[in-house]
Amino acid sequence: MYLVQHFYDQHGKSLGLDLVTGESGLSKRISKAEVHRPGLSLAGYLKGFMSARILVIGNQEVEYLRELEPTVATTRLRAILTPTTPAVIVARGCRPSKELIALCEKGEIPLFRARLMATNLLSRITFLLLEEFSPSVTLHGTLVEVFGVGVLIKGESSVGKSEAALGLIERGHRLISDDIVRVKKKEDSNLIGSGPELTRHLMEIRGIGIINVAHLYGAVCVRPDKTLDLVVNLEEWDDRHFYDRVGLEEKSIDVLGISVPYHLLPVKPGRDVVLLLETIALNHRLKKMGYHSAKEFNAKLLEVIARKQKKGTSYEVGA
Amino acid sequence: MKLVRKLKVKNRLGLHTRPAAAIVKLLQPFKSSVSFTCRSETINARSIMSILMLAAKKNTQLTVTIEGEDAAIAMEKLTAAFEAEFGEG
Repeated sequence: MYLVQHFYDQHGKSLGLDLVTGESGLSKRISKAEVHRPGLSLAGYLKGFMSARILVIGNQEVEYLRELEPTVATTRLRAILTPTTPAVIVARGCRPSKELIALCEKGEIPLFRARLMATNLLSRITFLLLEEFSPSVTLHGTLVEVFGVGVLIKGESSVGKSEAALGLIERGHRLISDDIVRVKKKEDSNLIGSGPELTRHLMEIRGIGIINVAHLYGAVCVRPDKTLDLVVNLEEWDDRHFYDRVGLEEKSIDVLGISVPYHLLPVKPGRDVVLLLETIALNHRLKKMGYHSAKEFNAKLLEVIARKQKKGTSYEVGA
Repeated sequence: MKLVRKLKVKNRLGLHTRPAAAIVKLLQPFKSSVSFTCRSETINARSIMSILMLAAKKNTQLTVTIEGEDAAIAMEKLTAAFEAEFGEG
């Protein structure tokens, strides 16, 4: 549950919020990632008004309220300040009117003052709330950026995920998080992975222990977050399993409702996993650029076969 | 077989590096999958980094889920280790 208190603690400083009144309402819940500027609603038009949104009162609203009769102003304000209103923010450092302060105090609705302009507040708060409300999942795996592609290396414990990531880092690629990756869905189409604050840039390598990659290899080898572009599952080589030999078929797995390209990569002594991961990432980039090696080759092959067939038939007819 | 049990962190310093290593070592011979849930976060108990990420302090309740053929013995061993405060008593 996301409370006004959490929002105030996290973003109060950066948004320049000052609490005017309604402190007891800080335990109110923010249930919608929406901010509302109550222009029309203040004029008395309440059709479609949603009360669970944070209200931002701008310069215009303040002026408008000032011009109204105090009793009318109170009625209009009372109509929009409902028990489910999480908070009210007055923009541009304007002084909230007495009526507004009294109603917020009585209704236990936190009332803030901010220096920013109303439009600016609207966009920034919407962005912050959307971020907070975006669906997320914690995955077991190691997230690395390889040639600009965010690759999540998955697999059983001790299959060599961390070792593969270390090899990639040594070749100049970047670590985002080892072992635990928090994935957030952004704007319905984008997956962003990051590591927990506490264990950020740390890795556990069997036989060595816990190492700090940022200290060992430098700041250039780490990143705080990265889009999740593909998932590679490392697996002990199994002779009974038939692994992909041509790459015509594209597999994907579902992460938070978005399908992400997926590769199953068998591991055995003599297979350079680091090189293979680099190749998968590069091939992914090539596909994004519109060139699909396996498909292009297959198309060419079909063309050659078709040409041969044509020649073959004409030869047979001639004979 | 799937077993779920609530275990409490009893040692003074909480789940720091040494107990985390002890848990991972204890679980190594078992085939079952083991996970800890703490404050809506579920992690793989075979990964030291994941256990450390929880930063569980003394008296934290962990929901331990063990699934697999040797779940019973694994749960027994794990409970004993938590009870013994990982030898840090």
